[in-house]
Amino acid sequence: MEFTALFLAVTIVMLVAWFGRRSLALALFAAGMIACVATYLHHATDTLKLSF
Amino acid sequence: MTQTRAITLNALSLYAVALVLTAAFAAQFMLHELPCPLCLLQRILFATLAVGPILNIRFGPRPSHYALSLLAAVAGAVASTRQVLLHIMPGDAGYGTALFGYHYYTWALIGFIAAIVLLAAILLFDRQFEEEPAVPQPAGGAFATSAVWLVIALTALNVISTLLECGFAACADNPVVYELLKR
Repeated sequence: MEFTALFLAVTIVMLVAWFGRRSLALALFAAGMIACVATYLHHATDTLKLSF
Repeated sequence: MTQTRAITLNALSLYAVALVLTAAFAAQFMLHELPCPLCLLQRILFATLAVGPILNIRFGPRPSHYALSLLAAVAGAVASTRQVLLHIMPGDAGYGTALFGYHYYTWALIGFIAAIVLLAAILLFDRQFEEEPAVPQPAGGAFATSAVWLVIALTALNVISTLLECGFAACADNPVVYELLKR
């Protein structure tokens, strides 16, 4: 569900970037990136099986 | 590099993003390989790369627009590096089919690093920032406008395909069926 929301958010950012105000597009982009990082951190919980 | 040439290059970069999103769809539908959560995140970040070029075409090239794409490319490189590391141990078959010897997440890492290098390269050309500061109407002609709409359409299609795949719950770690199409 969160990935559907992120794709929707990126689509909205693109539409605002094309039709809307630049400042609004930048703000929405920032919100989207924060959501992407949060989603990444939420999913990056598996231990990496590395040995150095 | 003139502003016009920079806008043409930005339009070309949008076609490159569209090609990546189309290739991902091709793997999903032709090979019946559903994208995993990290794969979806990498797709989202590829789509996010397109926001900078769209702003450049709409408002004229600015360093801040390229910075947006750089941030998206770095985040994408981090996500794809993690997936490469998850499957790096000997004996691990990786996730999904390999294409020309590399899995999709390895290609994604190469793509994001290439984007970082290309963005740094285009930022070297200062003249693109010296001309008209703002363009009131969408610029770049039919070539650029088509690129913008192609990327927007492909991203919107991803909204639908991801909704079908994950449904209204959290996406499965190893998805094998479309949740909303299950009988």
